Amino acid sequence: MIRRGQASSAIHANMTPMIDVIFLLIVFFVAVSQIVDRDAVPLDLPAFEESAASEIGIEDKVIVNLISNQEGQVSQIHVRGHDVAIEDIETLHRIVTTGINGGAKEIHIRAERTAAYQYVYEVFESIQLLEGAKHVQLVIKDDAG
Amino acid sequence: MKKNGFKQGVIGLNLTSMIDVVFLLLIYFMVATEFKTSEAAFAMDLPERIEQSSTLFDDEPLIILVDSAGEEIHDVRMSVLGPWDDVQTPEALRAFLYKNVADGFGKQGYFTLDHPIVIRPAKDAHWEHVLAVYNAAVHAKYTNITLDEPT
Repeated sequence: MIRRGQASSAIHANMTPMIDVIFLLIVFFVAVSQIVDRDAVPLDLPAFEESAASEIGIEDKVIVNLISNQEGQVSQIHVRGHDVAIEDIETLHRIVTTGINGGAKEIHIRAERTAAYQYVYEVFESIQLLEGAKHVQLVIKDDAG
Repeated sequence: MKKNGFKQGVIGLNLTSMIDVVFLLLIYFMVATEFKTSEAAFAMDLPERIEQSSTLFDDEPLIILVDSAGEEIHDVRMSVLGPWDDVQTPEALRAFLYKNVADGFGKQGYFTLDHPIVIRPAKDAHWEHVLAVYNAAVHAKYTNITLDEPT
């Protein structure tokens, strides 16, 4: 109730700049989520002083991460957010095939520098059996970058 | 001091509009920038396999055996099958391949740039050592490089 002689005073939040800033934050996080590659788990990748490897493009890809222990044994593969046992070829096939059917152009193999070759080759053999998966990229650390 | 005819005013920054403009600039530069990743990659074609066992080549491939004697990069052990006993490091392989390329422009050598090179690592060979040999062949501009079954 307004009393005589008292000015009407209501507290207002100014909605326009608030919406403005909230929209900017949304756009910012959408842009960041496009850049951050959640499929690339931290691994101790091979690195060379004079590397002849090419830069990695931004096109859609299936990243196959081979996680190994200190002896170089690979027991687990991390691909598209799933942890797959190296013996579970069927699951690996299903996930990689889903990625290729979803428009992924490349398959990137990321393995730690001390991983034993036999496990990497098992993944090659497995991928080789898939339709449309004849090109792979062998990922290394780019010291120049 | 309050002057006659002037209201007392507080000088302040309007933070909302400043954040607004700063975010716009940030997003503009983020979108305009091409982010450089800290990783690079070697492209490799997986060979067509016949009955799961053998790989066919038109030419006799140059076969390179790779093994590891330790964890460091210089612990790579390699040899080239054939009469090339002196090629025992990735650096020597790179020089050897570069020296022996027949490019069709007067440079005489044993191999063309699409000559098949087969890297045949031991099953326990470290991935870094395998790729060190692969890197040497790519450096020498050879294009037909494959990784073979482990021995």
